[in-house]
Formats: sequence, structure tokens, C-alpha cells
Amino acid sequence: MTDPQSSDLPDRILVVDDEDALRDPLAAYLSKQGFAVRQAESATAARTMLRDEPADLVLLDIMMPGEDGLSLCRHLVETQKTPVILLTARGEATDRIVGLEIGADDYVVKPFEPRELVARIRSVLRRASRAEAAPTLEQDYCFEGWRLDPLKRRLTDPEGAIVAISSAEFRLLRAFLDHPRQVLDRDRLLDMVQGREAHLFDRSVDNAISRLRRKVEEDRTDPRLILTVRGGGYMLASDVTRVDPQPA
Amino acid sequence: MLLAVALALLVAQGIGAGLALRAQNERESNAIVHALAFRLIGGRVLRTAEGRELLPPQGRRPRIARLISAPVSPLKPDDVREAGIEKRLEEILSDQGVQVDEVQVFERAIDGAVARRFLPRDDRLAQLRREHHPRHDRMIVAAARMEGEQTWLIARAWREPREPGFLRTLLVQTILIYVFLMGVIALILRRITTPLAQLTRRVGAFAANPALSAEGRVEPQGPLDTRSLIAAHNAMEARIGALLDEKDVMLGAIGHDLKTPLAALRVRIESVDDDGERLKMAGTIEDMTRTLDDILSLARVGRPSDPLEPTELSALVASVIEEFEDVGEPVELGETERIVMPLRATWLRRAVRNLTSNALRYAGGACVTVQREGRQAVIRVSDEGPGIPPDEIARMLEPFERGDPSRNRGTGGAGIGLTLARAIAEQHGGTLTLTNRKEGGLLAEIRLPV
Repeated sequence: MTDPQSSDLPDRILVVDDEDALRDPLAAYLSKQGFAVRQAESATAARTMLRDEPADLVLLDIMMPGEDGLSLCRHLVETQKTPVILLTARGEATDRIVGLEIGADDYVVKPFEPRELVARIRSVLRRASRAEAAPTLEQDYCFEGWRLDPLKRRLTDPEGAIVAISSAEFRLLRAFLDHPRQVLDRDRLLDMVQGREAHLFDRSVDNAISRLRRKVEEDRTDPRLILTVRGGGYMLASDVTRVDPQPA
Repeated sequence: MLLAVALALLVAQGIGAGLALRAQNERESNAIVHALAFRLIGGRVLRTAEGRELLPPQGRRPRIARLISAPVSPLKPDDVREAGIEKRLEEILSDQGVQVDEVQVFERAIDGAVARRFLPRDDRLAQLRREHHPRHDRMIVAAARMEGEQTWLIARAWREPREPGFLRTLLVQTILIYVFLMGVIALILRRITTPLAQLTRRVGAFAANPALSAEGRVEPQGPLDTRSLIAAHNAMEARIGALLDEKDVMLGAIGHDLKTPLAALRVRIESVDDDGERLKMAGTIEDMTRTLDDILSLARVGRPSDPLEPTELSALVASVIEEFEDVGEPVELGETERIVMPLRATWLRRAVRNLTSNALRYAGGACVTVQREGRQAVIRVSDEGPGIPPDEIARMLEPFERGDPSRNRGTGGAGIGLTLARAIAEQHGGTLTLTNRKEGGLLAEIRLPV
């Protein structure tokens, strides 16, 4: 495995899509952004190319004639631990969940904003280099009857009802759940939750906290779960247990 | 159905029983008429040719002793004459060549005096017995005045009382036949109606959700007609399913085939140096994408592939509003209430998003609330814009209608946002209504059953 951070070599990206009308400009754009880009027009071609030389990340179209993207994705995740970002024309939630469940690192709906795609590629590469040994099967977090499935980013309340949260709120909540009963100040929170939507998030940690409280607190003027700590900081006032995810 | 048959059968049986009863009565009155005629004719034969009456001497009773003659009619004012018997008696007598001037027939209860007077001795003995076993308690008296005579010949006959068991037997018989027939008919009807009821349930379920699996189909069963009806329905269901599948595949292909070039275009415009131009191009591509998504969603809204999941509504609405807040749009989240209900999050999100962006587009601001009212969850999106003329509200919910009659694309959108929002509300068993607020501005209201 090549650690992208260990050398000055550009990250190697393999773009797999049957439509050359998209593949060509995308490859050109990514090259311009400083990546070493190769192209494959089918899953079979991608397998051959990866055997010759591995990639640091595979950008994979789901809908392709012959072997589809999901199947190749499963193969890559299982055998080569290569990070995968799925490209799809459909934005339905079920597709997203299936893609993430079989181990894709992220999911981009066509047509996407190229800059956002680059931000996501960087974010996935950063994660891959940081957590080489990240467990493939992540356990759910349980707290005060609530449950957070980190894979599906699905939060359910004590009654089992789904509570919609944004990516920023998900990362914020996860930061709290990883450090229960610890005071986290704004800078630390900002550091922990900084993701590709950092530009949205750094508007205000307090704003994000307020939104999260709106969803998890019974009375957000009198928070019981996410407490404000005098002197600048927040704390999750609950114990957290990890359990195996429930079958879908 | 069973009830109607039961009623018809009851009527038929009633008529049958009635007829049997009537036949019995007929038989009885026939017997009486003939007995009376016989006696009257017999009495006449006893006369001499000169007309002298040949009444038997006292103490000797001829066989035909139930005949007496009297100068006056025995008819009393309170006797009820039996016109039917009178008529038939007259006919029989005239058929036999006996001409009578007048015939009177009536029924009378037998009391002791009458019995003594009329009954021959052995009859009197019988009468004694009868006092213990009163079988004959009514008699029919016939009085006939022969042609050109003043005296009346009076004959009498017993009205045989009905066999006491007769009515009961008839009733029991009728009921037995009735019960048996009803049982048989009920069995037959069941065989016919059970598959029909199953089919009805299936058709209802299929109409509500054409995505039903083939497993729930009704097996062809019952009588031939029903069997072929069910088979025909199953064939139709399969055909509709195939058409819908085809449509989904086609829409998927359209989506894929249009979005890939859009994505390519979106990547290519990154090389445009003029920032303003590039942003405009990106905006156009975004509009096209949204329109395409709306059209594809509208085509799929009746047949969603994702299941209903228990979801907290206010968090869902809040997360949509936050998306708008994040890009600096003037939306306000008003009063919200926690409401947990089964829903399809992706769809409902789209409905709220469409209503909110509509308000932003036409009124430049929106306020969204979530409240429970009785057994309904109500999502309200209100604005302070110009509203919609009342007579155009219905039209606004039709596809491709926009508030701007010039259909100026500059205001954006394909005009199916509201249609889709309504279809999504209906997909959840709810409604979407648009009203002009008294304070000015438009109020869009999604009501969902909780």
C-alpha cells in the first residue's frame, strides 16, 4: 500500500466510467488539480489496470454495461482496501445506503460540482492515510436510548423514529459521542468535525450546536444532553455504548 | 345476495304452502257440496209423482235421514251465508236436472238441541261420544226450495274439522325444505362469492399500490366465470406491472443519459475563465438538473421504491430549512412540534424544499412551521408575497403552470414543483392546499394523517 503522504508523488486516481464524454473532461480537470489520472471504460478494464498498478483512489460510475460499479466496488474494498467514491445519476437514498454499505467511502450524484468532487477526493484520501486500520464494520453508538449508525449516518430517537441530521451535525454529534462526558471547546470541536463542508461549518460552532440541540433535546432552552460549560465549551452529559448495527 | 335469495325462497315457499292449504280447503268444500247435493237430490226422489211427501214414519229412519223439510227457511239473521258453496250446489243440482228456486247454505255451530233434532240415532250416539271428543262442532246447513214449491228441503253436512296436525305438518315441512335449500344455496353462494371477495380485496390493494408483488394474486377458483375473471385480472395485473417496470427502467435510462452529459458539461465549464459567465452556466445546469429531477420524481411518485419509516417530522423540516439558511436564503423556521410518523424522508424533503423555494422565488422569503392538529401533522409554508388570484389556485397545482403567465424562464423552474409537492402529500395519504393569507401572501399547507 502506498501512503500518499509519504512521498511527493501525486495521488493516483482511476476514473471508471463508460461515457467518454464525461470521462475525458473529468480526467483533464483532475489532472489540472494535481492528480495522476488514469481512465478505464469498464469494470473489466479497471481490474486489469489496477493489477498492473494500484491506485490511491477509484472514482467509479455505478451504472455501466457489463459488470456494474457496485460489484467492482465490493471487490476493491474487500481485496485491495482501495478507497472508492461512487458516481451515480440517481440520488435516491436507497442507492446511497447500498453504496455506503458495501464499503464505498463517499458518494457523488451527477451532475456534481467539480470543486466539491475534488474536496471530497482530498477528504477521503486524508481519511485513508490517517486511519489505515479503520474497522470496516463500524458499531452503532447508543446513548440515552438514542442510536447513531455511523455508516448510514442515521440517528434514531428512543422511540425508534429517524431524526434527520446534516453531515455537519453528524460529525459534531460523533465528536461528542467519541468523547462522552468530556468538555470540548470550540476550537477542538472545529478541528474534529472539519470535513469537506468546513466552509459551512466554521460559520459558527454555536449555530451547529443549536441546530443539533433542536433535534436531540426535548426542550432546547433547557438542554440535558449537550451542556454548555462555563468558560467556553460543550459536553455530552451521557454515557455511550457501542453495539453491533441492527440489520437493515 | 344470500338475503335476496332467502327472501325469494321464503315467498315461493309461502305460495306453495298457501296453495297446499287452499287445495285442502277446496277438497273439503267439494266434499261438503257433494254431500249436500246428494242428500237434496236423494230427498227429492222420496216424493211421489203427485208431489206428496213421502216422509218416513216416526221411529223408522231411512238411510237418508239427514234431510228434513220445513215450511220456512232455517236461515236466521245472524247466520253467514256461504255464497261459494251455494253457487256450486246450485250448479250441481241443475246439472242433475233438479230445478230449485232458491238455495241457502250457511254454517252453524252444533248445539245440543240441533244435534238432537237433526242427528239420526246412531249419530246421536256419536254425538255423545263427540261430547267427549268434539271433532264435529260445526255443520253446514243447506236449504233448497224446489221449483214452484213453498217448502224447503233442508240438508246438512259436517264440516270436517281440519286434521289438527295438518297445519303443523305443513309448517314443519315448509321449514325443513326451506332450511335444506338455504343450506345448499349458501354453500353454492360461498363458492361463488369467496373468490370474488378475494378478488375485490386484491383489486383495491392493487389500485392503491400497483407495486404489489405477484405473490398476493388470487388463485383462479370458483365457478368457471369467476375463474376466468380472476385469470383475466391476473393477466392484467402482470401487464400493468410490466408496463410500470418498463417505465421505471426507461426513466432511469433517461435520467442517466441526460445527467451524464450534464455532468460532463459541468466539468467542462470549469475551464471558462470568466467567473461571471461560469457561474451563470453552472446556474443553468443546476436548473436543468432540478427540472429533470422534478420530472423524474413526478413520474415515480405513485410508485415509490423506498419504504415508509418512522421519522421525526420537525427535524426533517428543520434540516431542509437549514440547507436554505446555509446558502444565506431568508427562510425562518417558526413554531415546530415533535411529531413521529411513518414517512418517506427523501420525498417529503423534496416537497418541503419545493414549497420553500417557491416562496423564496415569488415572495423573497418564507416562514415554515410544523404543528400537530388533531390527528394531522400540518406543515405550513407562508410568505408575504403577492399571493395568487383565487381563481388561479387550482390551475397552479397543474403541471407546467407558473404564476407568471409570460412563462418567463427568468423566474426559473419548470412549474412542476407544486404539482410534485401535492403528489408527494398524496403519496403519504395527505393533502396540499394553497390559500391567500388575510395578512397578504400565500400559505401552502401540507396536511398528513398521523
